[in-house]
Formats: sequence, structure tokens, C-alpha cells
Amino acid sequence: MSLTLHSLTVADARPEIGGEAKSIEFDIPPALGAEFNWKAGQHVTISVHLKGREYRRSYSITNPPGESLRVTVKRVRNGMVSNHLVDLLQTGDHVDVTRPYGEFILQPAPQGQRTHYFFGAGSGITPLYAMARTVLRDEPFSYAHLILGNTDRQRILFYEEAQRLHRRHSNRCTVRHILSSPRFLDGAAAWRKGRIDLDALKSLFSETPPVAQDVHYWICGPASMNDDLSRALGMLDVPGSRIHSESYGYATPHAIDVAGVDSTGSVTLDGHRTALAVSAQQTLLQAARQAGLQPPFSCESGVCGACRARLHSGEAHHRRQMALDERDVARGYVLTCQAVPASPAFDLTYDV
Amino acid sequence: MSRMYHELPVDAYTSWEWYQREQDRIFSRVWRYAGFAEDISEPGQYISVQAGANNILIVMGRDHRLRAFHNICRHRGTQLLRATGKAQRAVTCPYHDWTYDLEGCLIAVPNAEREYPSGIDKSQLGLKAASVDIWRGMLFVHPDPPERSPSLAEWFGAVDPHLGPVQPAELTEIPAQRTSMEVKANWKILVENYVDVYHLSHLHSATLDMYDHAKAEYGWHGSHYAFWEPLVAMDGDRHDNGGRGGSGDHGAWVPMLFPGIGFATSDSEWSTYIITPLAPDLTRVESRTKRVSKSTWNSLWSEWPSTRGRPEGQKAKVGKKEAEGRDDPLASGNFIAEDNYVCEQQQKSMTSPFFEVGPAAQGESPVVNHQRVVLSFLK
Ligand code: FES
Ligand code: FES
Ligand SMILES: [Fe+2]
Repeated sequence: MSLTLHSLTVADARPEIGGEAKSIEFDIPPALGAEFNWKAGQHVTISVHLKGREYRRSYSITNPPGESLRVTVKRVRNGMVSNHLVDLLQTGDHVDVTRPYGEFILQPAPQGQRTHYFFGAGSGITPLYAMARTVLRDEPFSYAHLILGNTDRQRILFYEEAQRLHRRHSNRCTVRHILSSPRFLDGAAAWRKGRIDLDALKSLFSETPPVAQDVHYWICGPASMNDDLSRALGMLDVPGSRIHSESYGYATPHAIDVAGVDSTGSVTLDGHRTALAVSAQQTLLQAARQAGLQPPFSCESGVCGACRARLHSGEAHHRRQMALDERDVARGYVLTCQAVPASPAFDLTYDV
Repeated sequence: MSRMYHELPVDAYTSWEWYQREQDRIFSRVWRYAGFAEDISEPGQYISVQAGANNILIVMGRDHRLRAFHNICRHRGTQLLRATGKAQRAVTCPYHDWTYDLEGCLIAVPNAEREYPSGIDKSQLGLKAASVDIWRGMLFVHPDPPERSPSLAEWFGAVDPHLGPVQPAELTEIPAQRTSMEVKANWKILVENYVDVYHLSHLHSATLDMYDHAKAEYGWHGSHYAFWEPLVAMDGDRHDNGGRGGSGDHGAWVPMLFPGIGFATSDSEWSTYIITPLAPDLTRVESRTKRVSKSTWNSLWSEWPSTRGRPEGQKAKVGKKEAEGRDDPLASGNFIAEDNYVCEQQQKSMTSPFFEVGPAAQGESPVVNHQRVVLSFLK
């Protein structure tokens, strides 16, 4: 699956949380209307050229399907692309964007009576916010509870918007903020201090228990939070099949630290076999592109699966990977955008 | 040729064959009432409900989520849990101690190595899932697993707007008003009596005379019946009090949802009247009542009579002198006793070879329609 880039015009670019983030709305030309249909929770990949190089990053769509296509980008440490978008993007600019995709999806059940708990940390709110609004709009009998973790009140994305959502649907929507280092006067905004942990979950479920049986838990945050929270939910008898999670659509700082080893091997693409040297700092994808090959890729975030290939021999470590399941990994599949070599020799093929 | 009772053969009210068909096609296949939501209010609590042929267990996990399973051990079928109680994190069958977790997974088989030397695949022996959902603060169960059960909100969706403003979840139960009785009549006779508009001003001429039966509004919404009638206007328009809108807001809503799920509700009260067939000529009726909290109630009490009729013995269909002994239901002044009496008398007559039904009156059109609804499920 390779995703085509479309040049879209920025219809609106507005700063959020005091300029630390930016919400960007795109004009979708009528001819692209069908291609730019999305489901709540999906993201787009944005491509930018900086210093002569192309970078791609994925951002969640923060509006429900049917409204304007909006992404919200938060500044991150060393985040070249995100910081570029937050600082420089303006209304009227053109940006290369892929169609929406992704498997972290909330499909509304209009006749269902479901209870959804949305757990987000930092910019993890972005897909969840689109999901919560979709539930309140398209599932008239369902409930949406947002539980958002941030460092302090200033960092909370969509704080006012979420308050309005709660007021408009006060009988079936609640919003809770957990602040890890609240500042003076943040007290009023915070439900609790600390992190979303087992204690917080216990209070949550007794304050706003789910209605009956059809309950879903949606988590979006750094991979470590997703793991911790899934484990805490498990301790409260929540079955794994009801937990849906996604890590941030871009590599988190700690994930990038996975180191590889210098390695040489061969790569097969479209029936041609080429010798390839990969340095310890490179992903397999970067090395292949540097060698002049044109392997498929899209999100460069381990999310879309476009860059999938298979190792016939040799080993690789993934910085992060959402697009493979354990079976794929066992069979030698790798996401080349995230895989760094872990053995001195390898034999890779894209023709799978 | 079998004798008919409007749309149904008389057999439908007297034979085990019909009883069994209704059990199979109706009571074992649709959403059944299981109680008020607060009947399971903390983790580990459970109740079990007989729904036609199915005994369904509802239990709350530590995540406060409800789960529903068929209350049948996967070993040799022993019922796992009795009516109500508190389970720990697991459910153990009393027979051979097979143990299931609250997801229904079989987690322990005692002495497995010795008893099953060639192994036992626990993953294939989980409890069978059923569905539980909540509507208007009441629990309902369905025998199919959640992915296959129909939507409860949709099942009651069309009739919901016709049930009055009260949300039972906001009321408090009056434990003293919880009753269970057995009536010697077919369940359909009880339902038909419930939806018979004609009898209100006759059988209940003395017990429900605070309502203006002539102004009753009623009709069917799918398989469900809705009924509303206002209070009789007295002393000017006295129930226009209290800033609660026009007099049309008050009175009684007395719907009968399918199958045999009756409610009686006013501005301040919600009663359930659950009809469960036990035999062709025997039916259990369980009733519970919730009311607005005491303080609110006190102020309302002076303005609006209850839907439950007059306090006992005030006034009766049959005067004290004509009464046939002290227990004459028609002298009881209690409209439920009046109803049960006529239902049982009617059931008795159905076994007589001379029984023949007369023409249905206007106010009996819901009676005939309920028979059609029953038929539609048996096709
Ligand atoms: S490019 Fe999307 S997973 Fe690698
Ligand atoms: S029947 Fe339940 S353990 Fe044997
Ligand atoms: Fe009656």
C-alpha cells in the first residue's frame, strides 16, 4: 500500500495552547472528496521538504467525519516536522497530504448503547477527541468519558472545546484532567494529580460506571503509557479485546534510541537484487533510499505498513511498530521505516 | 375445528403445546426484564434470571461492567449460581468445582492430570455468553451473545416516547411494595386484561374513578402497547398546579411492553408488573414500585393521587352488604384483586365446552391486537 500525496490548501491555521500547538484545516477539492473520507481515529501523513530532504509524519484528524479535515500538531522536542508546522504554517499555504488511513478506528453503532472511555496523554487526545465527538453525534444512546493526562493546565489541548462538549451533552459526556505537575491555580481544572493509574481507574469506574455490557476503552499516548494502562485495566478484569490503543503517530524520543549495528546485505525490490550497506544509525528504509532505490513507504512512523518487507536471513530491531502483529514478526516481516539492523549480515526482500 | 377466541384458538390459553411454543418462540428469544439497574450495584454482585428456557446470569466485574452468561456449567450442566449474591473473582460450580473467571473462561479443572490424562482444552469450555443491557434504569437480558443480540434501544425505541416523563433510575424503591403472586390464568389473559380499555369504567368503576377513561389515549408501537389517561378534572383544573405544564402532562401511563412487561407510571412513580407464564393456566406476576424521594413526594402527595388507586377499603365495586364473605375480591376496593378475580374466572370458563367468545368492543381492540402480536412470533 503506497499512499499518493495530494497538494492541499490550508484553509485555516490557528495556534492552540499559547502557540505550543497548531490546528490546521485543509480545503478538500470536490474531486478528492471521496478519497478524503475518514473514520474517527484515522490520521493523514504530511510530507515536508526541509534542507533538501523529504520528511513524513502522521497526524490524527481531530474532527469527526463529515466536518472539515483538521489536524492538530503539537511542538515536540527535536521534532523538526512538527515544529516547522507549528511555527511556520499559515492559511493559504500548500501542503502535501495523503488520504486518511489507519486501523485505530471507532466505527459508530447508532442503535447501540455503549460506554466509551477515552484515555489520552498529551497530544494523544487528538484521535480520541474526534472519536468522542463522533460518539456524541452518531450514537445517541451512548456515553463518552474523556480522561486526559497532561503536565499542567496550560498544556491541555482542546481544554475549552472539551468543556463545551461536556456542557452540551452533560448527561452522557464527562471530561477529567489528570495533571502530573500542576502549577499554582491549576487545582480547579484537575480531577486528580499524578498519572492515569490503577487508583485513578478505580475512582473513574465508581464515579461514572459503564452502562451495562458494551464498553470500550480507547488509549492513545506514548507506548509506555499504553502498556501500563492496559495492564491496570486488566487488573480490573477488563478483557484485552475491549482495549483499543495507539501510540503517538510519530516516534517518541525513547523509541528512537534503539541502536542498530553496521551491517551489509542484499535487498530485493521489483525482482532486482541490490547489495546494501546499512549503518548503525540508519533504518533499512533510509539505507535503501540513500542507495537510490525506490521502496514503498508512507507514514515513516511504523503505522501504515506500506514499507513492509521480509527478512530471509539476519535480524532487525524495531524502534516501534503498530502495523505488524506477533505472527508477522515471527515470520520475519519488518517495517523497514522502523527496523534497524541487529546482525552484521542480512537478506531482505520487499517482494512479499 | 378448534373454537376461536378472537384471533387465537381457545387452545392457545389452555394447552401445554401452545405454552411450549410460546416458551420456545417468544420467552426464550426476546429481551426479558431482569430487574432494576441497582440490583447489581457493586463488583462481584450477581443475579440470575429465568428467561423462557434460559437461565441467564448477570455479574459485575471490578471494572463495573456487567457480563451475562448462560448459567450452565460446561461440564455437566449444573446451574452455577443461585438467584442473587456476591461472587468473588471467579465462579465455581458446586458439582465438581470447575471454576470460571468473570469473562466466562474456564480457569480451573480440579485434578486435571489424573482425571483427564490425555489433556483437556479449557479454551473450548468457557461459559456461553448472553447479553445484558439497560433501558430506563432497568436490566434486560437476551440469550444471544452481544455481537448477535438485537439492539435493546431499538426494540423499545418506538414506544419509549409514550411512557411519560419519569425515569425510574432517578426514583427510590419502596421495598414494602414488592409483591409476587400467582394467578390461575393464562399469561395472555392477564395481558389482555391489562390492555382492555373497556373494563376500566366497569370492573373498576369504584377503584379507578379518579381517572378520566373517556380521554384515554392508547395504541401500539410495534409489539408494544402504550396507554395514557388524565385525571378527572376537579375543583377547576386542579392538576394544572405546580408549574408542571398543562393538565395533559399528568395522569397515568400504563403501557404493556412485549412480552408481558407492564409498567404503571405517573409524575412521581414507576411500577413494574412483570408477567411470567408458569403453566398454561398459571402465571406469576411480580411487581415493584419506585417513587420520588420522600421529601419531594410529600409535597406532591397533596396534589396528585397515586396511580395505584385508592387506599384499600375506601370504596368498592360491591358494597359491604352484597359481598360474598370477607375475602370477596370485588369488595376489596383493590383494583388488582378485581383484575385477578376476573382473569381466573375467565380461565375457568375456557375449559367449558359451552364457552364461546362474544364480539370485541372498541375498547377491546388492544386485546385483539395483542393476540396478533403473539401470532406474529409463532409463525
Ligand atoms: S512507512 Fe508506514 S509503517 Fe513504515
Ligand atoms: S457439572 Fe459443573 S463441575 Fe461438573
Ligand atoms: Fe384492570
